[in-house]
Amino acid sequence: MRISIENFTKSFGDTTVIEDMSLEIGDGEMLALLGPSGCGKSTTLFAICGIHRMNAGRLMFGDADVTEVSSQKRNVGVVFQNYALYPHMNVYENIAFPLKVRKESKAEVDRKVQEIAGLVHIGELLQRRPMQLSGGQQQRVALARALIRKPDILLLDEPLANLDAKLRLEMRSEIRRIQLATGITAVLVTHDQVEAMSMCDRIALMDKGQIVQLSTPKDMYESPSSDFVAGFLGNPPIAFLDGTVADGGFRLANSQVTLPVPSGIEVPGEGAPMRFGVRPEFFQPGNPLKVPGKVSFVETQGREELYDVTLENGAVLRSIQSQNAGFKLGQEVSWGIEQDRVLAFGPDGNRL
Amino acid sequence: MRRAHLLGLGFLSPALAIILMLFLIPVLLTVMFSFTNMSTATGISGGAYEINAASLRKLADAGAQESFVETLGKESFVVDDAGITAAAAAYGEQFANEVGSQMLGERFSSRRDLERAFRKLKSRPRSTRDIKKAADLFKRSVLNIRFETAGGLVDAVTDNGIEMTPDQQELLTKTIYTGWTWTSDNFALMAQIPYVWRVAGNTVLYVVLTLAASVGMGLFLAITTFYLPSSAASSFRAIWFLPRILPNVIFVLMWKWLAWDTGFLSSLLANFGVPPRNWMLDTGVNAWVFIVLINGIVGASLGMILFGSAIKSIPQSMLHASEVDGASRWQQIRYIILPQLRWPIMFICAYSTLSLLTSFEYILLSTDGGPGGATEVWSLMAFHTALDNYAGNLQYGLGAAMALMLVIVGILASLVYLRIFNFNDLVAKPRIEQ
Ligand SMILES: Nc1ncnc2c1ncn2[C@@H]1O[C@H](COP(=O)(O)OP(=O)(O)OP(=O)(O)O)[C@@H](O)[C@H]1O
Ligand SMILES: [Mg+2]
Repeated sequence: MRISIENFTKSFGDTTVIEDMSLEIGDGEMLALLGPSGCGKSTTLFAICGIHRMNAGRLMFGDADVTEVSSQKRNVGVVFQNYALYPHMNVYENIAFPLKVRKESKAEVDRKVQEIAGLVHIGELLQRRPMQLSGGQQQRVALARALIRKPDILLLDEPLANLDAKLRLEMRSEIRRIQLATGITAVLVTHDQVEAMSMCDRIALMDKGQIVQLSTPKDMYESPSSDFVAGFLGNPPIAFLDGTVADGGFRLANSQVTLPVPSGIEVPGEGAPMRFGVRPEFFQPGNPLKVPGKVSFVETQGREELYDVTLENGAVLRSIQSQNAGFKLGQEVSWGIEQDRVLAFGPDGNRL
Repeated sequence: MRRAHLLGLGFLSPALAIILMLFLIPVLLTVMFSFTNMSTATGISGGAYEINAASLRKLADAGAQESFVETLGKESFVVDDAGITAAAAAYGEQFANEVGSQMLGERFSSRRDLERAFRKLKSRPRSTRDIKKAADLFKRSVLNIRFETAGGLVDAVTDNGIEMTPDQQELLTKTIYTGWTWTSDNFALMAQIPYVWRVAGNTVLYVVLTLAASVGMGLFLAITTFYLPSSAASSFRAIWFLPRILPNVIFVLMWKWLAWDTGFLSSLLANFGVPPRNWMLDTGVNAWVFIVLINGIVGASLGMILFGSAIKSIPQSMLHASEVDGASRWQQIRYIILPQLRWPIMFICAYSTLSLLTSFEYILLSTDGGPGGATEVWSLMAFHTALDNYAGNLQYGLGAAMALMLVIVGILASLVYLRIFNFNDLVAKPRIEQ
């Protein structure tokens, strides 16, 4: 079911957390709400499921206006960040709860619970209490409970935050599998960019209650709309070089080094401040546009190695290279930037 | 013992001393008193032996032979040295010497006999009045004389020429002792009290009804204040907490004023033609309604606070989850909130049973067990028996025995509760998952 949020504003007392936000989520789409802590992701999610009333704006599910509909009647499944399982009920009762309050028949409930338990692979845990489950198992129970009454919309609030790295990887594909299998419209709240990029069709990147960019993961990675977006996506993160426009090129701050500006962008006036963003994969020894510096940090990540190179003016560039490149800490190097992949940002931080 | 243990014991010792003073000693004293027949009549210090009208009646009740009791009660006249000395001072040596030489050691069962004997003497006083007076000097009686020891009494009685068999002697010293003695009769006595079973029933009724009322009201208040806006909720809570901080006497006085035949209820209902009456003491049922309300409202505030904080400790997200799962308010209360209040409810029940069993101050102040004993509970009965008795004879021993029953019931109940709660478990695992 399509969700459209129109001019949504939310404030708690005097502090306005979200102002005039609009967002459209397509039918069957999985959208990530990505952003730093406190930017209003959960608030948006809670507005969609009706836990929070909207101070202004309109919320549509399909063609129906649900702004004033109570959360009980919206038919939205929610997986909470801490799962919010009911500790006094066993797994079966937890999953069956949404059906129980709708007074469905015992046989019907049983059939549906078995079916959904199979889907999330917890068939043999039904008699346990939530306390006796691992984090990943609890997470699946929460998912099953959210899905059991075939909601129109599935909302997930940082569902993987409490899991260890391996389980997180497993559950990422698991959730996506279930979402695709059920064809449900889903919103995933996360502050983990990898999660957002790997699981979702589109990402809405939020900052301070605003959506700063809404696009597919690939688009967002390759052409971020601002330095904030560029800095948020990518691991290891992008490196920024500050400088000014000089002779139609980019003069690094406190330095005589001038780099050519990537083709096809509009250079601001002479002397205007400008920022270059260079992703680690585009700063490599083999590239032609050399910048000299000194290796100031080495981190081995198994298959790859991550280097920090401090330039003469103190700016730092990052490089990620396959293992056994063998550079040492403190070594003088002169590696090159891939000129066409450089991201240039204007004085206001927006992409040029 | 390791030094650390000693240190711990040292830190504990003030608490141990307090437990000893405030708990163990009263219990021990109760046990002690309950095996005595202490009462106003016996006093709580030692007693004495005295034969008087009352103790003679007691002796007869205890089964002494009638003739024995009669002899004890009679006065007799004995010519002895003490009498002769007194006679010498009053009527001259001559008369005294004559009495001494002729009648020493003689015994007369009435004054007339002695007078008749005196008249035979030469140096007798002239007037009949003087002879009567002289005879009085030889009057010997054990009546109305306090003896500190049983031996003193026995000597005095034998001196008066009353022969006693050992059995009679024992019966006498036992029954006329005015002090307290050790006895285990109190428990049998208690069972013979005609209204004792009704009081036991009243106690159960009191505990069950008050508990139900206070837990019910406490739950209702906790849940309603939870859904109220916080400022309204806190003033609401403050109002309900008032009875607990109000002096008991004032709180009950307000209820009495409400129920008096010239009080609020009567005045209000007078407008509808209902004749005024004391609503509280009118009938037994009315008295119970008031008792349960008064105690229940005081108890409700504790439940309200405890249940309220337990509800608050339920994670918000769990309530949110139940809402999006489609649960209505009522279903939320029924399926999410109440099950998680199980432990606080059980705790309140356990705690209140114990305190209700022993507390009677609100009943004492409001109905004082009335009308006609309809609201007399066990602890109040113990109080009435031991400390506040219309008949005036406060039976400390019997009252203590009644209190001892409560102590025993309380300890048994505590053991059962400890079993149910399994406190170790309770401490080990949080009942509400975060
Ligand atoms: N009930 C509330 N009362 C007042 N302020 C609130 C309330 N809930 C959230 N906020 C504020 O609103 C802002 C957004 O909160 P929100 O929970 O939506 O953040 P978030 O993006 O989900 O962050 P996180 O990733 O840490 O969960 C925060 O600054 C927070 O302090
Ligand atoms: Mg959040």
